[in-house]
Amino acid sequence: MSNPYLPKLAKIESIKDEAPETKTFKIKILDERIRNSFNFSPGQFIELTVFGYGEAPFSITSSPMIHESFSITVRRMGNVTKGLFRLREGDFVGVRGPFGRGWPIEKMKGNDVLVIAGGIGLAPLKPLIEYIILHRKMFNNVKLFYGAKTPKDIIYKDFFDEWRKYIDVELTVDFAEKDWSGHSGPVTVLFKNFRPSSDNIYSVQCGPPIMMHFVTRQLSSIGLPPEKIYFSLERNMKCGMGFCGKCMTGGRYVCKEGPVFNYSEVKNFLETPV
Amino acid sequence: MERFLTIDKGLMGSFLERVMKYYQLIAPVRTEKGVLFEYISGKEEVDLTYSGHTILPPKKFFFPPVEEMFVYEYEDSGNIRLYDLLDEVSKGKRVIVGVKPCDINGLLVLDKVFTGEYNDPYYTARRKNTLVVGLTCSRPMEYCFCAYLNTGPSIKRGFDILLSDLGDRYVVEVGSEDGWRLVKFNLDLFSEARKDDIEEREKLLIKVEEDIRSKGLPYLETIERGLREKFSDEIWETYGKKCLACGKCNFTCPTCRCFTISDEPNPDLKSGKRVRIWDSCHFLSFTRVASGEVFRRDRPSRFKQRIYHKFVYSINEIGSISCVGCGRCVEVCPAKINIMDVVKEVTFGVKPLSAKIG
Repeated sequence: MSNPYLPKLAKIESIKDEAPETKTFKIKILDERIRNSFNFSPGQFIELTVFGYGEAPFSITSSPMIHESFSITVRRMGNVTKGLFRLREGDFVGVRGPFGRGWPIEKMKGNDVLVIAGGIGLAPLKPLIEYIILHRKMFNNVKLFYGAKTPKDIIYKDFFDEWRKYIDVELTVDFAEKDWSGHSGPVTVLFKNFRPSSDNIYSVQCGPPIMMHFVTRQLSSIGLPPEKIYFSLERNMKCGMGFCGKCMTGGRYVCKEGPVFNYSEVKNFLETPV
Repeated sequence: MERFLTIDKGLMGSFLERVMKYYQLIAPVRTEKGVLFEYISGKEEVDLTYSGHTILPPKKFFFPPVEEMFVYEYEDSGNIRLYDLLDEVSKGKRVIVGVKPCDINGLLVLDKVFTGEYNDPYYTARRKNTLVVGLTCSRPMEYCFCAYLNTGPSIKRGFDILLSDLGDRYVVEVGSEDGWRLVKFNLDLFSEARKDDIEEREKLLIKVEEDIRSKGLPYLETIERGLREKFSDEIWETYGKKCLACGKCNFTCPTCRCFTISDEPNPDLKSGKRVRIWDSCHFLSFTRVASGEVFRRDRPSRFKQRIYHKFVYSINEIGSISCVGCGRCVEVCPAKINIMDVVKEVTFGVKPLSAKIG
């Protein structure tokens, strides 16, 4: 029996600055056989080990079509990310996973898709956007609403031009600066002129809890049924397998049964997560 | 496999001695603080007369407070190597003797939690290499309520052999092939049980059950419904304010198993260990994520998490509640919170009768 707590050894292939205190790490699993069998669906996460600092969950942000390596986008926040930011290209890390249930891609096919992200919450949605772009004909109108604190905090800046060729992208920042000509205010301002063109629409979102709270209400008020409002929850997922108990929310293991849930699933939780 | 024998109390020591030749023995030992499960070096240390339960459940022998999971080490070449400590866990056979039904049920809960879609290999390895010799309960303690939850004073499964104390002898029920092997090679110490022995055992257990049931606790069936209806009730504020969030209830509970994982680097910083450590849902840090967000910040919400996990969430998770009625959390609580009073209050909407506990 292989030990699911034992991380697979991997190396950092490259590190890219995204925003202040935010970097994208490209990671390659050393063992070729394990690397080739590492398949994930958009919205899933891994547990990353920085030896000596510990382990923490991160969403996979690279395209699910890429198998040679995968990427995570990390903001320096806690102990593990502090350790990770000290590492350089070629340094060792450990990987467990992928874990959890991702975005409901099969259900979304043939529908409009509204993607809503706040800050670094765009990370778990990027592989979904890339999947949609690669299979563009399988989806109808696709829109991304993205909000960040300031223009500097916008991640994946150099992807937007490419994405705009295939999907609508609208950005807003909480605190605009002089050279910012776009929207300002929380991501809900982007809903001002938005009405779903039909019932065939799925919304997917990830961001700070307060954002998801208001966006969910906004989506409900414009008529989206709860089973078409999806979000990814951030919790303290230590083991990834439903053992450690730390991510439990309303009796559900976010690591195993989520992190993606729809509003219809969670609104009857005794503990409301959004 | 249903098979009943008896063994004279005077011969129990010889039986344990023989068992110790082949197995590491874990058994209840009487200490100044009370009765504890410990590794045994001589049969005279074993105390099978203890009332109710030991101070701590046998959980720690299957799921230790600190589990060393693996060692990482940077080699001079710059490469890193991992040494899985699971291999150590799998070594050696053990027998744990004198486990009461509440605690056996605790292990059965952990079995369900730690297996399924994923298997926890550390727990599973220890469970596999350990035989369980149960002991039915003859003298419950003040806060025992197993009979209400059908987790005691006797048990139908989860043991390799089960002892029942009949004064001068034990009735021995064989519960598994492994248990039969334990008996089979020592048959000179055992006799076939007579009908009277078994009837005497039944009478004794019925009496113990009646004693516990005289405490007037609510029926199991009403607990989940009561809790579901009262998630937002003000009683949680009251209990939340009383609770000191010390985690003693978690650490003495036979089914609490939440943990955290962290690294312990050695001073040379070139090697270290990954460990998992018992955690408590009452601690503020339990739900904290890297951004600093804490999802159960106020104490009532943390107090509720333990109660709701035991009596509501577990039903979906493992198909049964995960409280076994041992009463340890009641005994150790520095704020004198009684989980059965909580359940009673929620279920009937009445203040607990046992005001002396409050």
